[in-house]
Amino acid sequence: MAKILDKQRYKCALAAMQSVQAIERACPILHSGPGCAQKLSDSTGSSGYLSPQIFPCTSINEKDVVFGGVKKLETTIANALKVIDADLFVVMTGCIPEITGDDAMEVVSRFQDDGAPVVFSSMAGFKGNNYRGHEQLIDSIANQFMQSGNVEKGLVNIWADMPYQDLFWLGNIRELERLLREIGLRPNTIFGYQRGVENIKMVSRAEFNLLVSPWLGLQNMKTLEKRFGTPFLHYPILPVGATETSKFLRTVGEFAKISSEKVEAVIKEHEDYFYYLISRYADLFLENRVINKQFSVVADAHYALSFTKFLVNDLGLIPAKQFVTDDTPKHLQEAIRAEFQNLNYGIKADVDFQTDGFKIHEDIRQHDYHGYPLVLGGYYEKELTESLHGNYLNVSWPFLDKVVFDNFYVGYTGGIRLIEDIYTVAVRRFN
Amino acid sequence: MPQNVNLNMTTVENRELRLGTIIGWDGSASELVSQSAYDERSLKKHGGCQKRGQGCKLCEIQSPLNQETMCSNAIVQCQIGNLTDCVLITHAPIGCSSEDAKFNLTMHMGLARRGKPQQNTLCMSTNLGEKDMVFGGSAKLRKAILLAKERHNPKAIFIAMACPTAITGEDIDSVAEEMEAEVGVPVVPLHCEGFRSKHWSTGFDVAFHGVLRQIVERHPTKKQKDLINIVALWGSDWFTDMLKPLGLRVNYLLDCASYEEIRQASEAVATTTFCETLGGYMGAALEQEFGVPQIDAPQPYGIRGTDAWLRAIAKVVGKEKEVEAYIQSEHERIAPKLAEYREYFKGKYGMVLTGSAYAHGLISVLAELGIKNEGALVFHHDPIYDGAGENQDTLKQLVETYGDIPHYTVSKTRAFQLPQLLRRIKADFLIIRHPGLASVAGHLGVPTLALGDEHIPVGYDGILRMGEILVGVLARTKFNKMLQRHVSLPYNDWWFSQNDPFVLSNNKDVFKDIEEKLGQ
Repeated sequence: MAKILDKQRYKCALAAMQSVQAIERACPILHSGPGCAQKLSDSTGSSGYLSPQIFPCTSINEKDVVFGGVKKLETTIANALKVIDADLFVVMTGCIPEITGDDAMEVVSRFQDDGAPVVFSSMAGFKGNNYRGHEQLIDSIANQFMQSGNVEKGLVNIWADMPYQDLFWLGNIRELERLLREIGLRPNTIFGYQRGVENIKMVSRAEFNLLVSPWLGLQNMKTLEKRFGTPFLHYPILPVGATETSKFLRTVGEFAKISSEKVEAVIKEHEDYFYYLISRYADLFLENRVINKQFSVVADAHYALSFTKFLVNDLGLIPAKQFVTDDTPKHLQEAIRAEFQNLNYGIKADVDFQTDGFKIHEDIRQHDYHGYPLVLGGYYEKELTESLHGNYLNVSWPFLDKVVFDNFYVGYTGGIRLIEDIYTVAVRRFN
Repeated sequence: MPQNVNLNMTTVENRELRLGTIIGWDGSASELVSQSAYDERSLKKHGGCQKRGQGCKLCEIQSPLNQETMCSNAIVQCQIGNLTDCVLITHAPIGCSSEDAKFNLTMHMGLARRGKPQQNTLCMSTNLGEKDMVFGGSAKLRKAILLAKERHNPKAIFIAMACPTAITGEDIDSVAEEMEAEVGVPVVPLHCEGFRSKHWSTGFDVAFHGVLRQIVERHPTKKQKDLINIVALWGSDWFTDMLKPLGLRVNYLLDCASYEEIRQASEAVATTTFCETLGGYMGAALEQEFGVPQIDAPQPYGIRGTDAWLRAIAKVVGKEKEVEAYIQSEHERIAPKLAEYREYFKGKYGMVLTGSAYAHGLISVLAELGIKNEGALVFHHDPIYDGAGENQDTLKQLVETYGDIPHYTVSKTRAFQLPQLLRRIKADFLIIRHPGLASVAGHLGVPTLALGDEHIPVGYDGILRMGEILVGVLARTKFNKMLQRHVSLPYNDWWFSQNDPFVLSNNKDVFKDIEEKLGQ
């Protein structure tokens, strides 16, 4: 970690305030400088019941830096409880109190002793990016707010991507829920519409935790296992399209000991429709002269891996270099690299764990894409791809070139949506 | 004359110390005018009042609850980060530069509005981690400066301080000085850490201070008699149209400017702005240190303001005669349309929620359109500006020209007060200029205009432009009513039952229950 950054792909740990925002009726309270929340919020899809403009903040000033901000934190929490109507408050400390040494946990624990629904989470920006912050947040909630309960048969917690950092978070998690429900499981998730404190309380009652992510959340699975004895299944690829989604359903079915007949029936129904669409649009794939021969994905491990799998395994495109931009912890990189090598037809994709946007752009510029490049990436790749006369789709943060309400790329349907988006860009080319 | 600006220091004094800026106040606009004691402060700024009496003290309401707001560092990002040929290095953990992409978009919009070629911002972060907090980040900063030079070959490199680096005591001044020789272009330290000032507008001063010290030409070899500095943000280029009749070319500072445009600021014939909050420091410093006069006039809003502003500029460039003909023809030109709008807006009420001096301008324009203002919310108040010109008391001019505003509130983006603020006044629409706040206010059922292009209300045409836009805004009432019906607000019943937006400050009893529970 901690290289000099040009065209950053993530924010700091405190941006996990957005994960709090994604839990219905949960409110972050920031013990931070005055401008942190403003910087860390996104400008679309972020209003609603509790938007960043509502988040209480201690707005630390010079005096608090010198004399400590504990009293101010206490006042802010008390006032927030007085004014704001929420079910859960998460006190998050930014860089300043973590350096000056405010004991925020002590303040929060006094409110907790009083029965107030307040959780503390240390979020110093210099300790890591928002991926790590998100993990830290879930751990804090697990350790301070969840209570153990009796295991309920068939109840499965799904943990996937990170709200707001991933534009498709809401649609994706709902589609994963639908898929699990179809094979007879009862999914529980804590983010998005009508998912709140009640769902957090249910977490400990699950039969197992399902992590659908290359690495993000692994730490939480271990925490939940240790605290509640809940086993977990780690599926390291966000399944996009038929090939991967069928694999995913078989793996989950096997882990949950669901009869393979049931799982196969669900798979068949989906695959039939998926390949009906694919065959109807084979003309588009096979006769369109402007689609790109090679592609690069510039995204977090989550999307870089799943899109590479999908574009190779389902669409037959050839991967150029792929870029993983989330500062994946070093010890977890090998397993992810191996997945990039494990594509159908013996195809292997070269992958670079790279956080420096300047270097990514150099690499893309220098590579011979045998025609126009197809680049699925962040907003920064837009201008670059245009300068290379390529096709570009905004699939990773920063998102300024795409509006998504509850669309999703996961599953069979998600794969079709991704094809629609890519080919909409491609066919527009000479129109 | 006392020195208001000190370019020998790398830091600039905070607004609250220099100007007496406050972020909490509630009363009528006329009361604030008298409490601000502009004339007395002005005397002091000009060396007249030697006594340090109570006369200049402005009472401030302290709020025990604050919400997400903005900081000086963000302001530097959106100013210096939007120069076309200079690199901004944020010396901080990665979070502080999280808005790079957003500001990239603002830059693209600004460039388009000014007819300049599109390009991306040139921003980097030293991306400091825990070890750097303990052992220092200077080595990384040096490396970043070298990389910036190698990658972007900029005309200048700026270093933005942030909260964590200010606390750990990163010596950006020394690094800048040392590296300047090595990279051969100005390396400018900016002390804009978020916690240092209670209001983000100090960030404007920090940005200007940096360019004034190291980029603006100290010893101009020529004067450009037809060049006028306009301290601006990203607004559309309407100043060119307004000033062409006076034979002037416009030099916009700072957003979307190039190194050369900033350098030549000292060659210009005068400096003015669309907003004294923004432009006050730059204008005063250019006058004091570089001899470029600051236009001592009301801001160019509404008919009277624009008249006076044009006359003041004409006086500096010796076009007094031409300007009168121009003013008269402009009055005649807009009169028929303006009369239509005045008829249309009869009986309508508006409310402005923006930065301080800009609000004064906007309210003037609404008043010209015949729209009444019973309330206004500004995010801070400067009782004086750096120039302290006789004709720059923007709030006083507003009140004297267009009448008092009974509920004039100073409060720094405390969204929780909106229900109370709106309850005590009539408002058919709100004009808001602060990211994210328009949607919060929109949930309250009143149509909101998030004013993006800040030059829209400027000048004679600005009155008509606002009229046209507001006709559209009023038509959107239904969307907001629909929102209001279908969303709930995140405050509890007790808060909704309160009528005083500052009850948390004014009534100490409201916390007795919590204090008792916490055993105090």
